[in-house]
This record gives sequence, C-alpha cells and structure tokens, in this order.
Amino acid sequence: MDITLVVALVIALALFFDFTNGFHDTANAMATPIATGALRPKVAVAIAAVLNLVGAFLSTEVARTISGGLIREGDGGVQITPLMIFAGLIGAIVWNMVTWLFGLPSSSSHALFGGLIGAVVVGAGFGAIDGGVLLSKVVLPALLAPVIACSVAFLATRLAYLIAARSDSAQGGFRYGQVFTSSLVSLAHGTNDAQKTMGVITLTLVAAGFQTAGTGPEFWVIVVCALAIALGTYMGGWRIIRTIGTRITDIAAPQGFAAEASTAATILASSHLGFALSTTQVASGSVIGAGLGRDVRSVRWRVAGRIAVAWLITLPAAGAVAALAELVARLGVIGVAIDAIVGVGVTVFIFIRSRRTVVAHHNVTAAAESGERPKAARGKAVVR
Amino acid sequence: MIDWFAFASVAAASLVAACSLVATYALGVRLMSSTSDVLPRTRRLTAIVCFAVCGALVLFGIYLVVPALHGG
Repeated sequence: MDITLVVALVIALALFFDFTNGFHDTANAMATPIATGALRPKVAVAIAAVLNLVGAFLSTEVARTISGGLIREGDGGVQITPLMIFAGLIGAIVWNMVTWLFGLPSSSSHALFGGLIGAVVVGAGFGAIDGGVLLSKVVLPALLAPVIACSVAFLATRLAYLIAARSDSAQGGFRYGQVFTSSLVSLAHGTNDAQKTMGVITLTLVAAGFQTAGTGPEFWVIVVCALAIALGTYMGGWRIIRTIGTRITDIAAPQGFAAEASTAATILASSHLGFALSTTQVASGSVIGAGLGRDVRSVRWRVAGRIAVAWLITLPAAGAVAALAELVARLGVIGVAIDAIVGVGVTVFIFIRSRRTVVAHHNVTAAAESGERPKAARGKAVVR
Repeated sequence: MIDWFAFASVAAASLVAACSLVATYALGVRLMSSTSDVLPRTRRLTAIVCFAVCGALVLFGIYLVVPALHGG
C-alpha cells in the first residue's frame, strides 16, 4: 500500500483526534467559571481556545516516543508502523466521541495510549507492551490524581469559606479571581496536549522516511496542531462542561476558585516534579473536593461513580476498538478503506445522535433533572 | 515501580500552593467586603497586598508553564 496515502490518513486522523482532545478538555478549565457565572459560556470557550492556541506555540517539549514508554518501541523493540498509528487513532477518536456523547470527562491521553496499545498488541503481540510502565504511568496515577486533587480542593474550599465566610459580597470577588485561575489551567493544558499530536505526526513522518530521525516537529505541524486543538476547544464540549460544572455538585464562586486553584497547582506540580497526572482526572477530583468542602451531602456520588467507571474502561475500550481496526487494516487497501469509512460513519452517527438532546452554551448550566438532585439541595435553597 | 517520593512531593507542593493562593485571595476578598461604604485605608492597602501576592503566584505559574522562561 502506498505509504504516502497512509501518512496522509494518519495526519488527518491525528488532527481530528487533536480536535476531539480540544472539546473534550474545555471543561477542565472552564466548567466551573461557567457554572458560577464568572464567565459567560461563549467568552469562556473563546478564552480557552486562544490560550490553547498560544500554549501550543509556547512549549517545545514534544514527546520523544509516541507512547511515552508504554510500548517497547524503537531499537530492540517493535517497529511501530504508520498503519498501527492509524488504527490506534481510530480507537482513540471513537472512544473520545462516545464519552463525549455521554458527557463523561475521560482522559484523552489514556484513549490515545489505549488505542496505540490495542493496535500494537494485534500487530506485534503482548510482548511489545511494558506492563510495569503501564501500571506506574497510567493505572496508579489514574487512581492517585483524583485523590490528591480532591484533598487539596477540599482543604482550599474549607479555607475559603473559613476566611471569607459565606457572605454575598464575597461571591463577586471570587468570581473575578476565577477568571485568572481558569485561564492558568487553560494555558497549562495548551502547553501539554497539542504536543502529543505533534509528537504523533512527527514520529509518523520519521517512520515513513519523510523526516530525519531526532529532529523536532516541522513548523507547519506545530501550526496545524495548534489550530486543531484551539478549534476543538472553541466548540466547547458542552456536555462535559455540564457534567463537571453542574452535575457532580452545585458550584458556588468560592468553590470554583478553590477548585481551579487546586487543579492549576496540582497540574503544575505534577509536570515539574516528574509525576505526570491527567488534567481531566485532576479537574474532576478538584470539583468533588470543592463540593465536599462546602457540604459533604452536596456531591452526587452516582455521577462521580459513572465518571470513575469511564476512567477505568477508557484504556481497554479504546484499545479494543483499535485492535479491531488493526485487524481489519491488515487486509490491505480494502481494510484501511473499511476502517476509514466505518470510523467516519461512527463519528457522524454519534454527532447525529447528539442532536437529539442538544447541550450548548444556552442551556449548559440548566438545572439537573430532579432525579439527580442531592438530598441537601431538596426543600431548602442552596447557598450560592 | 512507582516513585512514591515524587508522588509525595507533588501532593505536598499542590497542597501548599493551592491553599496559600486561596487563603490569601480569600483574605483579600474579606478585607474588601465591608458593610460600610468607605473602607479604612490600612484595610484597603492590606487587601491590595493580598491580591498582589496572588497575582505574583499566578505569574509564577505562567513562568513554570512556559519552558522558554526557565530554560526547560
């Protein structure tokens, strides 16, 4: 099969993945300021989009390996072919679309890793996967990230209420502060996430012989990746914003400020002290912690539980889809064509399905269905 | 296996950074919110210092985020 065609397909898929990554993660920074009214929904996503665009150009730390060591790639290990990357990206995209439809904040990095693992296992066998790295870089951090973020946000929220009390006049002050903390989270996201796609495209170009090994990403790669993630971010991913901003718990301005401060602090600390944590999991954990900090009964554990389940199955689910795609792709040109058509078909189907219950900037903060109201919120007014 | 020291330092650093930012900002908000129309000068000045400290913390965050600024 023509290698140029495969590379072109991989680049197209990688950019689409970058786009889904963008709208999947808008919520990490912007769900709480939207929920408290600190920023109007459209303004919030515009700020997040610009900061992601800027962030993509600011950081030059592009991943040196596609999988971050999960797969024994390179010398002495398996050779990751552009076809495997193609199948892996299909798995990651399909899973990102499915979780978006259900409004579940799952980690885009885990979807990408899972997809690549699935494709490589089919292509090169289980021996190609480094189980120790999988445990220490994906599984344990996924369990610890929400715990750290939740504890930090819990204490920060307690402090905020302790010091500034629950007076109404304090609310405005915290709303103003939210603009800064959420922007910081957005910028941190931009410097991290677009780099993943740049890495995937660059390593594909290297594998196909279009670029010298060991060189950084081409300038056009940086530009298109930055644009793709910024455009995705601007689309908003309103379903996930609704889940984090209003479904887990009802967020008031001091809680939102404390949650974002905790998210920003945890992400910055994790990327600088060498213990990588998922932005999505940190942000969700912070919101739960902020809910507990104000009122223990205000957290809807059913929603939190659904999110936790999504985290657990993200890697295997994306892997299963990618494994299937890789099996089909091995048929040759026909297989790749089937993959591409089915992939586009699933994406379009999910999009059409999503139109049945539209969630967008106009109704993103609408109250949750009565069945999901926590006991604390029933009967008496919620302190906001 | 897992680097528990790195994990512990991330947890400690996050806790200290987030709590100091939130506490300082909350103090500023409390000092600024007053029932009377006119704030005493010292009170207003302390509040401004609080917000300035918060601004410095956020700027430090931006410094950490952008590799070009710290030679990463």
